[in-house]
Amino acid sequence: MAALWFGDPRRKFARAFAKAAAQAPAGPLADFYAAGMPTLDAAVGDAELACIDLETDGLTPRRDAILEAGIVPLAQGRLQAGQARRIRFRPAQALSSASVAIHGITDDAAARALNADEALAQLLPLLARRVLVAHFAQIEAEFLDRACRRVFGGPFVAPFVCTMQLQQRWFGGKPGEIVRLGALRVRYGLPHYAAHDGVSDALACGELLLAQIAHKSGREPTLAEMLRR
Amino acid sequence: MRAIGADGRYQTIRQLDLSALSGNHAGMGDESAEVRDVLAFLQSTEPFASLDDDHRRVAAKGIEVAYFRRGTVITEAGDANDWLSLIRSGAVELMLGGTQLSARLGERDCFGYPSLIRRGPAQNTATAIEDCLLYRLPGETFHVLRDRCAGFRKFFDIDESARLRRAVARMEGDGPVAGDESGLAIYATIGSFLPGRAVVSGDPALSVGEAAALMAREDVSTLPLCEDGHLLGIVTDKDLRRRVLAVQLDLATPVRAIMTPDPVTIGLQDSAMAALLEMTRRHIHHLPVIDASGALVAVISASDVLGQLGAHSLRIPAEIGRSASAQELATATARLPDAVSALVSAGVDASHVTHYASAIGGAAHCRLLELAQAELGPPPVPFALVCFGSLARYEQGLGSDQDNGFVLGDGYDEGLHNSYFAALAKRLSDGLAAVGYAYCKGDIMATNPDCRHDLAGWQSRFGHWIATPDPQAVLDSAIFFDMRPLAGEEVLVKRLREGVFAQARDNRIFLSFMARAAASTAVPLGFFRNFLLHHDADEGDVLDLKRQAIAPIVDIARCHALARGISATGTLERLDAAAAEGSLHPEAARDLAAGFEFLCDVRFRHQAGQRARGEPISNLLPPRELSRFDREHLRDAFRLIRTQLDKLRSDFAGGLT
Repeated sequence: MAALWFGDPRRKFARAFAKAAAQAPAGPLADFYAAGMPTLDAAVGDAELACIDLETDGLTPRRDAILEAGIVPLAQGRLQAGQARRIRFRPAQALSSASVAIHGITDDAAARALNADEALAQLLPLLARRVLVAHFAQIEAEFLDRACRRVFGGPFVAPFVCTMQLQQRWFGGKPGEIVRLGALRVRYGLPHYAAHDGVSDALACGELLLAQIAHKSGREPTLAEMLRR
Repeated sequence: MRAIGADGRYQTIRQLDLSALSGNHAGMGDESAEVRDVLAFLQSTEPFASLDDDHRRVAAKGIEVAYFRRGTVITEAGDANDWLSLIRSGAVELMLGGTQLSARLGERDCFGYPSLIRRGPAQNTATAIEDCLLYRLPGETFHVLRDRCAGFRKFFDIDESARLRRAVARMEGDGPVAGDESGLAIYATIGSFLPGRAVVSGDPALSVGEAAALMAREDVSTLPLCEDGHLLGIVTDKDLRRRVLAVQLDLATPVRAIMTPDPVTIGLQDSAMAALLEMTRRHIHHLPVIDASGALVAVISASDVLGQLGAHSLRIPAEIGRSASAQELATATARLPDAVSALVSAGVDASHVTHYASAIGGAAHCRLLELAQAELGPPPVPFALVCFGSLARYEQGLGSDQDNGFVLGDGYDEGLHNSYFAALAKRLSDGLAAVGYAYCKGDIMATNPDCRHDLAGWQSRFGHWIATPDPQAVLDSAIFFDMRPLAGEEVLVKRLREGVFAQARDNRIFLSFMARAAASTAVPLGFFRNFLLHHDADEGDVLDLKRQAIAPIVDIARCHALARGISATGTLERLDAAAAEGSLHPEAARDLAAGFEFLCDVRFRHQAGQRARGEPISNLLPPRELSRFDREHLRDAFRLIRTQLDKLRSDFAGGLT
């Protein structure tokens, strides 16, 4: 079993989660941990997940800001597109023109957004007790961790499934190679969606996950077996 | 916050408040967001595209996305179904009861609604035949939208005949070409465009000389003759030439003696189209107009009507009448496709267009026969030119071939007269081929000696088909049962018809053969992408609109007409009469009529398109050229026809093997 090789991911994750929970100061982050750990033994069809995509001002968590989070719940194997949520973060500084061009989020739109503390207070309950799904999840994990440390003084520990990593693990490919979400969707015959919209990308990522699971041979994997390593 | 699970979703829907749903109710910066791409897909996919923005958001709010690998069963027949599924990508096959192919669906098609509407289990097993991404709307939301939005409800009507009737009503309502005002002109009443001039009429007691003087003074070519304001007869320039000058009639003779008594009239409330059809059919150029009390109010000319219609291509009948040769006639009939296109794009319904095209066809036959007789001399014995099939039914489209024969009257002697009628038939048939009515592939033409018989000869031919039917002969002879006299002694055709119908009516075995021959037509299931889908899961790439859809309805109507001795020849009239006779359920008759009109309309629009592209005119239709509207309603029509063919078989051939 692969799990033996890497150590049981459930136990490793449980330790990190408990440690972060103990450190979190009272507030939204502590509430997030208090909600409890998501189930990891279930298959996707029997669990609740949240697909998430962050639009950011750059790729360096230390320096760049979150502009927008798009979340689409995934429950019992179905993406609840109608329940999608978009949370806009107000950046500390004016946006770089490059990121405006990419995300279509202008200063005006950003000005209607929430400060990071309010935005996280809205976002964290949507993620509580759920496994998170993202494409190239490292970005989402690091930006959320950085934001929580900055705002609440504690780390963000959550179980992530990364569709880019799953593709390489299940269907082959060069380890570490970055394959864009859109390019992977084409391989599965999934429709073209506009990229760089947090909510669309979250849905697009969720659909890719469902397609990957449907195409995987053998029994349906548990969440624990799918987690990002 | 645990509002995201299944319970939360239903709660949201129960509390449906449009303003709350469409607004930003989660506070600044946090938006419950429709996914842009999902919304865009709904905006471009019927029936969601026609919803108002608020209700489209309600739909978007309910949507869940599911993925099914090729080969996976999505819903099993007999299982509960809680979803309206909209195919976002991929393809799905529906099998009725899990065994009988009922449809193949592609992107933007919906399934699952019949069970939602009936609130019962799914009747079809739905299987992904390609990897599928489905957008699924919960039943609750589906019902909310159905309750609130009439267009949405109509789209998902599970009564396909109601959908068909609405499609026909819609076509008649706006016409296929939006914004073409001439569509209105066709339906304008005569009263709305009467010529401004006062009607000139005369007293029947006038002498022929006085009447001619009156016509000269008033510069009219047609003089209605009235007593107390009521029309008694009519005199035309032509009458003065033929009945007065040519025979050197005494000018003091009362005009009453040379008038045409009880002329055909048209009412103030009749349409321009009706007037045009009447003139076309009777080869006349003027019609007296009477009001509701029967009083004469005007005389309208073909020019008045054509001026109103603004379509000069419609002058064909007059030109046919004037043609002195097949060549001239060909010039006139060559414009038939343009005239038909003009009528179709003006929104004239198909039954009027087929009538018009058939009237032209009939006029061409008559004129060619006149020209042939002028060459060969008058016939040695009375006879009638009879036509069969679509021309007889007044249902001719474009690109029809000829189906005709002669019924020879008393005194016909094969040895003496055959050569005259063979020569007459040859000239007629060659002439028809030259003006655009191709030789009949089945050799149903007066040139074939087997299509030239006296009454007894024809009766024995029909008698043979009826008394000793075999499947192939029944198929081949079906169109002979649609007959109409075109020229000559009409009574010969009338007597033949009556005899044949009386014989057929009493012969159950013959009727069962007719019904089974009709029911053997392979009516398609529907479409899948750019293919035509058949029952055996075969995918064809072309629809033969005439053979696979129109002909079966004609067959159904003919079977009922034969069984009940219905004298009407037109399909719509036969369906009507069959319903009145109790032979056909009134609802079935109405549904078949709507299907027939829809199919004829599709055919004309398709043929107008072929004409515009310079392609040969045919009944063959590649599915890729069909709009979504047409595809869906064709599918409804196919289903209706299949059901009624089954019914026909069990009504007429049940218990017989």
